[in-house]
Amino acid sequence: MSTREIFDGRLEAALLLAPTLLVSVVFLYYPTALAFRTSLFDSGFGRAEEFVGLENYLTLLGSSAYHSSVVISVVFAALVVAGTIAVSLYLTFLIHEVDTGQGWYLISVIWPYALPPAVAALVFLFVFHPTLGVLTGPIEALGLEVDWFNDGPQAFLVVLLVAIWKQIGYNVIFMIAAMKNIPDALTETAELDGVGRLHRLVSVYVPIMTPTLFFLVIINTIYAFFGTFAFVDLLTSGGPANATNVLIFDLYREGFSFFNFGVASTKSVVLFLVVAVLMVIQFRLTEEYSYYGA
Amino acid sequence: MSAIQYTKRRFEALRRAIGGDDEEESAALTGSEESVGVHLQLWLLVGMVAFPILVAVVVSTKQQGIVTSLPDLVPGTYAVENYREAIVDYGFGRFMWNSLLMSVVVVVGKLVISVLAAMAIVYYRVPYKDLVFLFVLFTLLLPVPVRFIPLFQLINDLGWGNSLLAITVPYLASATTVFILRQHFLSIPTSIVETAKLDGVGPVKFTLQVLVPMSKGVLVGVSIIMFVYAWNQYLWPLVIIDSEANQVAQVGLQLLQGDVQGGQLSWSLVMAGSVLTLLPPLALMVLFRKPLLETFAIQQK
Repeated sequence: MSTREIFDGRLEAALLLAPTLLVSVVFLYYPTALAFRTSLFDSGFGRAEEFVGLENYLTLLGSSAYHSSVVISVVFAALVVAGTIAVSLYLTFLIHEVDTGQGWYLISVIWPYALPPAVAALVFLFVFHPTLGVLTGPIEALGLEVDWFNDGPQAFLVVLLVAIWKQIGYNVIFMIAAMKNIPDALTETAELDGVGRLHRLVSVYVPIMTPTLFFLVIINTIYAFFGTFAFVDLLTSGGPANATNVLIFDLYREGFSFFNFGVASTKSVVLFLVVAVLMVIQFRLTEEYSYYGA
Repeated sequence: MSAIQYTKRRFEALRRAIGGDDEEESAALTGSEESVGVHLQLWLLVGMVAFPILVAVVVSTKQQGIVTSLPDLVPGTYAVENYREAIVDYGFGRFMWNSLLMSVVVVVGKLVISVLAAMAIVYYRVPYKDLVFLFVLFTLLLPVPVRFIPLFQLINDLGWGNSLLAITVPYLASATTVFILRQHFLSIPTSIVETAKLDGVGPVKFTLQVLVPMSKGVLVGVSIIMFVYAWNQYLWPLVIIDSEANQVAQVGLQLLQGDVQGGQLSWSLVMAGSVLTLLPPLALMVLFRKPLLETFAIQQK
C-alpha cells in the first residue's frame, strides 16, 4: 500500500480532491442538511417559514395516510426483492447450465439493465391497457377482468411486475459472476451423489452465493424504495385510492402538488433513515463475509 | 482471500461467461437431452423478457397502434412516418439531444473529477485521506430522492432552474465512480508504480501515460454505467426543467403519455418515442458489454 504513495504534494492532492468535495458538499451534503432543518419548519410556497419544532414528525406519526404509504412501500419492496431474486436466480441457473450460446443468452437477459424506467412504464401501460392491451384479451379469456385503472390490488400488481422486469438484468449480472465462481468440483460431486438439478441450485449453489444474494437484497430494496418513481408516476399516479402510493411518490406529491416543503422535508428525512439503515446492514454484512473469505 | 484476488477470480469467471468459451464447460456434465429442456425454458423466458419491447417495436410501425390481440402483432408500414412525426412534430429530436447533452456532460465531468480524486486517494501520501474517502463514500446515503426537495430550492436560488447546469452539476460527484477507480488503481502492480517513480515521472505524465492506458477497460465500463444512469434520470429533470425546449427524453415520454391518455395522440407515436428513448443506452450496453461486466465485478468487491 505504502509503495503506491509516490507523490506527496499536499496542495496538489487537495486540488485533485477539490472538485469532488465541492460538488459533494454543495449539492449532496448541504441539501440534506437543509432537509433536516426545513423538517422543523412550517414551510411552503408563498408563506413565511415558521419554526414548529417536531410538529411535522408528530403529524406523520399520527397520519393514517402516511402509515398506509409506509406499509405499501414495505410490502412492495419485499415483493420486488423476492420476485426479482427468484426470477433472476432461476434465469442465471439456466444460463449456467447450458453448454452452447451462453454469451447470447446472457445478453438477452441482462439488457433490461439499460431499460429506461419511463420506457418500461409506457410499454407496460400499453401491453396491459384495460381496453387496448395486447395481453388484456388473453388474460380476460382466462376469466379474469383486467381493471387496474380502478382496482387497487391489480394496479399494485402491474407496478410490481414492471419493477421486477426492469431489475432482472442487473441481478443476473451479479449472479452469473457468483455462480461461475463455484468450483466445478462441487458440481461434479453433487452430480455423482445423484443430486437433481433444482436441488443442486437450492442446496449447493445458493448457500455459496449468499454474500452476492445479500448484496442484491439490499440493492433491490433500495431500488424498490427509490428507483420506482417513474413506474408509479406514469402508470398509476399513486392510485387508485392510494393503492400504489409508495413513499417516494407520496413525497413528490407533498412537495410538488401540495407544496408543503416542511412536511416534504420531514418525509425526506424519513427516507434518508431508510437508506442509512439499509447501507449500514450492507456494510456489516460485507465485513462479516470478508472475514469468512480471509 | 483478498479483495483483489477475489475480483480477479470474478474477472476470470465473467470472461468465460461473455467470451463464449463454451467448449471447456464439459458437455459430459449434463446430458444433452436434458439440455434441450433447458434451452427451451431459456428461449421461453428470453421471449417473455423481450416481449413488451417487441410489442413496442411492432406498434411503432403501425398507423394507429391499435393492437388488441396477439394476431394483430404484425409490423405495419408507417414506421418512417411515425418516427419522423415523433422526432419532428413531438419534439423527440430535441428531447433526445437534451438527454444526450446531459448524459455526455455528466459522464465526462464525473470521469474527469473522479479520476483526479481517486488519483489523490491512492497515489498521494497526505494525511486524512482515508477520512476524505469515507466522506465521499458516505454520499451513497444521499441519493436524489432523499434530497430533491431542498435541491430544488437550492438550484432555483442559484438561478439555475430549467438549465443544463441544473441537470448536470449536481450529478458530478460520484462515490461509485471514485470507489471503482480506487479499487482498480489499487490492483495495478506496485512494481509499475515504483518504476514510474524511479523514472521521475510527474503526476500529469503518470496519469496520462501509466494510469489511463492501464485503466481503459474500467474507464469504458464506468462510462457506460454513468451514461445509463444519467440517460435514465426521470424524477429530477421532471421537477427542475419546466420548458419543453430544455426537457429530456424520459420526461418527454411523460408528455406523450398525457396526450395519449387524453386521446389526442395515437399509441404508435408513443411507442416510437419509447423505442427511440431506449435505443442509446441499449446500444451502448450491448456494444460495450465486456468492459461493463468487468467493471461491475469490481463494484461489488
